[in-house]
Amino acid sequence: MPAGVFKETYRGEMGLLRYPIHYVGLILGLLLLAILPYLIGPYYTGLMVTLMIFTIGAIGLNILTGLAGQISLAHGALMGVGAYTAAFLALYYGVNILVAIPIAGLAAAFAGFILGLPSFRLKEYYLAMASIAAQVLLEYSFSLVDPDQYTPVPDEAKVIAGINLGEGLPLYYTTLAFTAIMALAAANIGRSSLGRAMKAVGDNDVAAEIIGINVTRTKAIAFTIAGFYAGVAGGLYALMNTGIDWEAFKLDTSIEYLAIILVGGPGRVVWGSLLGALTIRTGWTMLESLLNEMLAAMGLLVAVSAFKYIILGGIVVAFIVLEPEGLIAVLRRIKEYFRLWPYSY
Amino acid sequence: MVDYASLLIGTTVSGLVLGLIYAALALGYNIVYRVSKAINLAQPEQVLFAAYIAFIATMWAGLNVVAAMALSLVAGFILGGVLERAVARPLRGRPPVALMAATLGVFYLLRGVTMVVSGGFETGSLPVPDELYRFGPIVLGANDIVAIVIAGGSLAALIALHQYTRIGVAMRAVAEDSFGAAAYGLPVKALTLLSWGIAGAAASAAALSLTVKAQVSPTLDYYALKALVASLLAGLDSIAGVVVGGLVLGLSEQYASLFLDPYLKGIGERMAFIIMLIVLLVKPYGLFGTERIERV
Repeated sequence: MPAGVFKETYRGEMGLLRYPIHYVGLILGLLLLAILPYLIGPYYTGLMVTLMIFTIGAIGLNILTGLAGQISLAHGALMGVGAYTAAFLALYYGVNILVAIPIAGLAAAFAGFILGLPSFRLKEYYLAMASIAAQVLLEYSFSLVDPDQYTPVPDEAKVIAGINLGEGLPLYYTTLAFTAIMALAAANIGRSSLGRAMKAVGDNDVAAEIIGINVTRTKAIAFTIAGFYAGVAGGLYALMNTGIDWEAFKLDTSIEYLAIILVGGPGRVVWGSLLGALTIRTGWTMLESLLNEMLAAMGLLVAVSAFKYIILGGIVVAFIVLEPEGLIAVLRRIKEYFRLWPYSY
Repeated sequence: MVDYASLLIGTTVSGLVLGLIYAALALGYNIVYRVSKAINLAQPEQVLFAAYIAFIATMWAGLNVVAAMALSLVAGFILGGVLERAVARPLRGRPPVALMAATLGVFYLLRGVTMVVSGGFETGSLPVPDELYRFGPIVLGANDIVAIVIAGGSLAALIALHQYTRIGVAMRAVAEDSFGAAAYGLPVKALTLLSWGIAGAAASAAALSLTVKAQVSPTLDYYALKALVASLLAGLDSIAGVVVGGLVLGLSEQYASLFLDPYLKGIGERMAFIIMLIVLLVKPYGLFGTERIERV
């Protein structure tokens, strides 16, 4: 019997599930996710829903920025496009939310494609600035279509087969299903020829063009996919909330998305996004209440959001300077250390 | 429309004053870009930081306005130098996008620090006499004149520094080709540090010219973000071009709010970003910038 699991085909080497531990991990992980809301109570279930929504959005940006190397600071606005599409469809046309979310994804994908048009001519920070401009102009158009800063998402549109998907356990399982499908699709992008083309474009687009990759097409697809993910995240956001407000889709959100993938691990599409969202989004939410109590105890009148900026900014700078591959590389180092513990090699 | 001509003149004058401030704000981006080949997105918060230093020094520490301005210039210089040493230098040799993302982090960090520092203070402008001066049909407030003097002075000083002094020549050499400059024995790291410091001081000067015109509040950084357009329009590696870029931006913003606002509310504020998109799509290297030629 061979010592270990060996693959005889390239197909086997490229599989998503290669080793027995992957199968065990998948089954245990799915089981855990299925019973999780019963273990952690409603508050943390709500946090999980937010975490999953932002993971979906971050996966989109990670495909665009981590794989294809196109930096974008308009991801928050794209999420807004999705959220407003879903909310307007539900409000004015009575479309069920399960239908509205994919349509929201498509609308944001179209917006993402438009945002991607400058990328055919621009690179790096020029592209980043074009996306800042796009973000500001999209914010402006949100303020025109929604001057009251409140668009309700009616409950009737969220009901399917008598169950309201917009709250509690049904919300958790709906979000989980969307997240699982979107994450699987994203994991497979990295294994396909499209994902390899994106990596080539991200590494060096001129060289990629020379070896026969259609750079324009690859960039356009990357932007469209990123838009779709942001749109679905926005649609789920509309499902989660009773009403939406464009304050949630401002430049800060876009910067936060970029911070999520830079901290989590750019290029590691699923796990990097999840880790980043867990650290930045959920980590902050849990820290916030703690900080609030501390500030109140010390009698300081400083807004707690000031500390959000300081902590978030510090984390981003520290990761870029010290660990550009993100948290996922830190975890890998820890794993390698314990694999041979207590010997150094 | 009783007095259309004077309205037009007033708009033009305020556009020009605002444009000069934008040009001063844009200088910092270009000085940094020349040596580090990346956009310093922390610049808006450097401006805000400098504005608060001057504001707090005058209003709460009771310093003389001129002394507070000098303090703010020095603080801006030091802040710029610290940013170079802590963020830009470790990232030398990494792709420029890494530096840009890192400065985005600094943007957040500084915003948080400014929010903590400014927590208990009310907003207000720097104390400048509110007299009006008339030059024929042109009306200028004392704060306009102070803003023009500070912004114009810092622009002229920095252009002269780059053009006529030995240090300016050395900084230009580093901007042109840092490897070549190092081969000729120029202290490239020190000059990069100096450039970031000067950019920080320029941000302070711009902040001062802004504080006499606008209220000191956490939204002041929005002006500096818009000034990015002036620096793009000029071309990121051109120093004197920012004057043209700033004036175009200031004028178009004022005209847009005058003529287009009745149809699209708040368009004037967003005009900068529309110009930015147009510039990026039509002429990404700006009016006076050098085009990049890429090799594999």
